[in-house]
Amino acid sequence: MKKRILICDDDASIRAFLREALENNYEIVEADDGKEAVRLITREHFDLLITDIKMPGTHGLEAIERIRERNKEIPIIICSAYRLMEDDIIVKTSDVSAFITKPIEVPTIRKKVFELIGS
Amino acid sequence: MDIINFMNKRALSLLRFVLILSTILVMTYSNKGLHFGEPGYFLAIIYLISNFILVRLPERLINMPAVSFAIFLFDIIIISAGVYLTGGVQTDFYLIYFLIIFIASTGQNTGAGIPIAIVASIIYIWLVHHTEPGISLWDSRFLIRIPFLFIVSFVSSYWSESMHKELKKKEELERFNRELKKEVERIAAKEIELRIYNEKLINSVASGIIAVNIDGVIMTVNPEAERVFGYKKDELIDYHIKSIPGIEPLYEKIESSMKNGKAIIREEVEVLNRNQEKIPLGCNITPLINPGGDISGCVVLFRDLSEIRRLEEQLRHSERLSYLGKMASWVAHEIRNPLTSIDGFAQLLFDIKDEKKRESYISEIRQGVKRINNIIDDILTFARIKRLEFTKIDLKNLIENTIGNMKVKYQLNCYTEPLIKGEEEAIRRLFLNLINNSVEAMDENGMIVINIDAKNGWILTEVIDNGKGIPEKDLKNIFTPFFTTKPRGTGLGLAIVKKIIDDHNGKIEIRSELGKGTTCLVYLPKYNNGR
Repeated sequence: MKKRILICDDDASIRAFLREALENNYEIVEADDGKEAVRLITREHFDLLITDIKMPGTHGLEAIERIRERNKEIPIIICSAYRLMEDDIIVKTSDVSAFITKPIEVPTIRKKVFELIGS
Repeated sequence: MDIINFMNKRALSLLRFVLILSTILVMTYSNKGLHFGEPGYFLAIIYLISNFILVRLPERLINMPAVSFAIFLFDIIIISAGVYLTGGVQTDFYLIYFLIIFIASTGQNTGAGIPIAIVASIIYIWLVHHTEPGISLWDSRFLIRIPFLFIVSFVSSYWSESMHKELKKKEELERFNRELKKEVERIAAKEIELRIYNEKLINSVASGIIAVNIDGVIMTVNPEAERVFGYKKDELIDYHIKSIPGIEPLYEKIESSMKNGKAIIREEVEVLNRNQEKIPLGCNITPLINPGGDISGCVVLFRDLSEIRRLEEQLRHSERLSYLGKMASWVAHEIRNPLTSIDGFAQLLFDIKDEKKRESYISEIRQGVKRINNIIDDILTFARIKRLEFTKIDLKNLIENTIGNMKVKYQLNCYTEPLIKGEEEAIRRLFLNLINNSVEAMDENGMIVINIDAKNGWILTEVIDNGKGIPEKDLKNIFTPFFTTKPRGTGLGLAIVKKIIDDHNGKIEIRSELGKGTTCLVYLPKYNNGR
């Protein structure tokens, strides 16, 4: 059975790209905002969350906080157009497993996902 | 009576001494003569003593009508006693009555003359009858003496009254003159005080003040004006303002204000100071109008705006830097997202064999490029780098085409010929941004009403939504670039709207009520045969 990845980004083209890059080895589910991501993670099992930070509705960081209240185990990769520590991106390093700055290299994301959950 | 001291205490006692002297003289040269030990002698002594007592009495008491009447009555009694002692009708002592009546009539209590004359007449008649019981009242001596007593009383009362009046008039005139002099002195002192006060006031004002007369000659200068122009007071006062190098632009405004008789408010004028440095001045120029309604000069109140301009420039510089920083961050974020999909799909293209997928990747790449292009458009619009080309625009068609492509319920009402002059793409962008904001503020039941109407030479377009509204604290910042309350907002939407409206010399108002909705009123210049 394929491992399940939840991709959370308000930009449909980014979600589409990540799906195309990863769906050969994983089952991909998409959420277009943080609220939807929290809802899905509460209901279903996922092995990994890949999320953007700045999104309409629930902000990525807020979503991570809520997810961590429910699920302390799930690895989280942040994919953001901002660099870590830039502007208001202050992430508790213990909460996230990796931080990837956009644009994303396909080998990099594949490698990182593999490191975290295998295939 | 609060009148002239015509018959003061001193004069009265002097006259009474004359009276006593006359009495003694008359008694001495009467048939009987005045001899030591006789009643007449004691009478003279009593009279003399009484006068010495009178001299000691306070003037206020003597001036009392009853007291002065009593004094004259006492005099009448003394004189009557003298008449009696010196031989009644035979003696000339009655002449002293005339003197008393005269004194009584001319004294403080001028009305006392007639009663004294009556009393004197009665006593004299009684006395003569007593000394000479057989004498007839029709005796020629009575017929002459008694009326004369009254005549003297009337004449001296009349003369005294006139004298009093004259003196009163004189005194009043003198008092008036004294008061007038005092008033003049008081006004002069007040004027000096006022001049000093005005000078202090003018000198302590932080703004510069100069006043010129109708010919443009400087009349008043305060220290701040000296500081700003770099000239001393002596180098400015009494000189024509045109003769002071560097401040001619100020004279032009002054001349115009005096010519039109109208104040020039908050006018900015740039002058040169003595060191040829440019000084921006914020001026209020007010013509001085004299009581006759003519313009007599002009007063200029000005502030040196150099420091304000420097601070404004500093602020603009830091705002520019701040915008630059925000813009760099915004550009980085906005471009990285489409760039991620372009780059990502481009990477995936290498491995893909499926033709359909290949096409969809290429389509994603092209969409990403389009998005980046839109972002560049935003930057260019905001930075006003693009040159605007104005044409005739049918606003109703433009808005209909713009909103028609969007999934939103709307109602478009047009009450006028909706022609404006503008750049079509920019105007489309303007309404697209406004409508987008409305759409984002509303839920699925939301509806946008757009009214187009003519108002005071403008075409007014109202974009009304029933969305969640804008909090009051945010209203003042909504046009500030990069200000956004939306998580995904760029903060450029309304800044671009404002920029486009400014480029078209239009204006925009936003009214909003939380929970009820927002109305944007866009005023754009009416198309007027190409103008």
